[in-house]
Amino acid sequence: MFGNLFKKKRYIFEDESTMVVDLDQSAGRYYEETMSKLEIESYQGDEMVVNMGPQHPSTHGVLRLELVLDGEVVKKVTPHIGYLHRNFEKHAESISYNEVVPYCDRIDYLASMNQDLAYVLAVEKLIGLNELPEKVEYARVITCELNRIASHLVAVGTFGLDVGAFTPFLWAFRDREKILDLLEWLSGARMLYNYIWVGGLARDLPEGWLQKVREFLDYFEPKMVEFNKLLTTNHIFIERTAEIGVMTPEVAVSYGCTGPVLRGSGVKWDLRKDEPFSYYDKFDFDVPVGEGKFGPVGSVLDRYLVRIDEMAESVKIIRQALDGIEPFTAQDVQAAIPKRLRPAAGAEAYVRSETPRGELGFLIRSDGSDVPFRVKSRSPCFSNICMIDDISRGGMIADLVLIIGSLDIVLGCIDR
Amino acid sequence: MVSYFGNIYRALSTIAIGMGQTWKAMFRPAVTLQYPRERWELPVNARGILFMNADDCIGCNKCVRICPVDCIYLDAVKAAPDEDLGKASMGNPIRQHVIRFDIDMFKCCYCSDCTTVCPTECLYMTDEYENGVYSRDNGIYHFSKYSPEEAVALRLREKEEDERKAREKEAKLAAKQKAAEGKGKSAVGA
Repeated sequence: MFGNLFKKKRYIFEDESTMVVDLDQSAGRYYEETMSKLEIESYQGDEMVVNMGPQHPSTHGVLRLELVLDGEVVKKVTPHIGYLHRNFEKHAESISYNEVVPYCDRIDYLASMNQDLAYVLAVEKLIGLNELPEKVEYARVITCELNRIASHLVAVGTFGLDVGAFTPFLWAFRDREKILDLLEWLSGARMLYNYIWVGGLARDLPEGWLQKVREFLDYFEPKMVEFNKLLTTNHIFIERTAEIGVMTPEVAVSYGCTGPVLRGSGVKWDLRKDEPFSYYDKFDFDVPVGEGKFGPVGSVLDRYLVRIDEMAESVKIIRQALDGIEPFTAQDVQAAIPKRLRPAAGAEAYVRSETPRGELGFLIRSDGSDVPFRVKSRSPCFSNICMIDDISRGGMIADLVLIIGSLDIVLGCIDR
Repeated sequence: MVSYFGNIYRALSTIAIGMGQTWKAMFRPAVTLQYPRERWELPVNARGILFMNADDCIGCNKCVRICPVDCIYLDAVKAAPDEDLGKASMGNPIRQHVIRFDIDMFKCCYCSDCTTVCPTECLYMTDEYENGVYSRDNGIYHFSKYSPEEAVALRLREKEEDERKAREKEAKLAAKQKAAEGKGKSAVGA
């Protein structure tokens, strides 16, 4: 009689309905504490709950995944985020418009230039600043695309690391280092640039910098061919990645995925093409999408291949921008910077732009003072991590590591 | 069966191609630096530890206002009317004693905003990047050229000056009131 009493537990909910759970069916006390009460019933006795992260080398940051495992098969994934929360949105309400830019760097620290550009475009829309010197616009495109290459190099390099290939990771970082050197020469910092300002740039382009960018592109293209020979075309790598983590276009769109994650599923959506910001409508480039050459469309491999192709497209854009900036090199990059930044009361602007990880949007509302009333940022990584449960169910734990790698999340971007 | 062996063949051949690339890489010069012995040459405008040239600071407070993380602490005392503090090297007249100019380099986010607003260009970023210290207090850099005793003395002087001004003002106000009262009385008397 008493045995029965201890093995069953009665839950009483707020609306006074009750539920009796047989604890024999669950895997012990841990379930009871961590899982929501209603879910306990559905689990079988031989399932196990495992925490992956937050200190885990393959979660690419402080991400905690709560896995329900049946042996090695993943039954359910619950991402727990917030370990890197830095209160960006609330903090931005207490500092002036210009001071937010260094904080924007830290949203996604692998692609700071793109984050800065998104925020700055929003502020420029807010104050109605449409005409900028050509040199500023071209320089913004060049730096952003360089940063996109650097970011994608980290993505493909660490993805190789997740599969177990160490050399490509080192080669990717070797080339990324060259980009960081260029951007350091330009702005003074290696990762958190604070270079793109409202209405202009923090510093003029150093003498000979454009030539060095050209030299880098000439150096980089053959290196990419080498990289592809080393990893992308490797048959074992393809076999390992071509059929796992398949995300259909419907799933990707319904979760609001953007960037290479969405394009990997075969949806041709790139804000640089579909809703051009800055000078992106002046350049000729393609939008690579996942084609499913080696398996179903939207697999882990497709997302990887999209990033590889995008790097080549970025090189194309930078070459055109370098030609475009040529006649305007004598312009003053700080000519259009507003002396006093005080938008009209009630003004509101939403601008979205394409960062290496997807669509980053900033909603800014002004109350007439020099401090923003509200800054909301729509982060691409947050939407991209949401569908991890959908695409990793039924796979192995080892596949889950690859799926996280292919989503290319940055925890700073998720938590802000 | 054919696809099985085909798979093996493709795997082996692509591995051979990859190994060919790594073989080539073996004969290239290394890109790594032996850090403490070899050092990277930083560009001219590299952003390292902040430095303030105390002779040139005019205490304008601009850097304090623009700092996104509030890591600069500045206190200034107005110079006496008969005191001449000279000029900064850019020509700006100095009218204040900067008795405290502390930068908390542990709070600093290296955004370099403060150096761009400085009117005398006395605040700048050096190419020094190794600022590891043993204690948290050592991360706060003091740049003021006044010793603590001098700072206290200047503060006292300012306080006395303020009090004297307040007394004078009061006395003036009282005298005015008295005069007004006297006028009122005389008016009533008439």
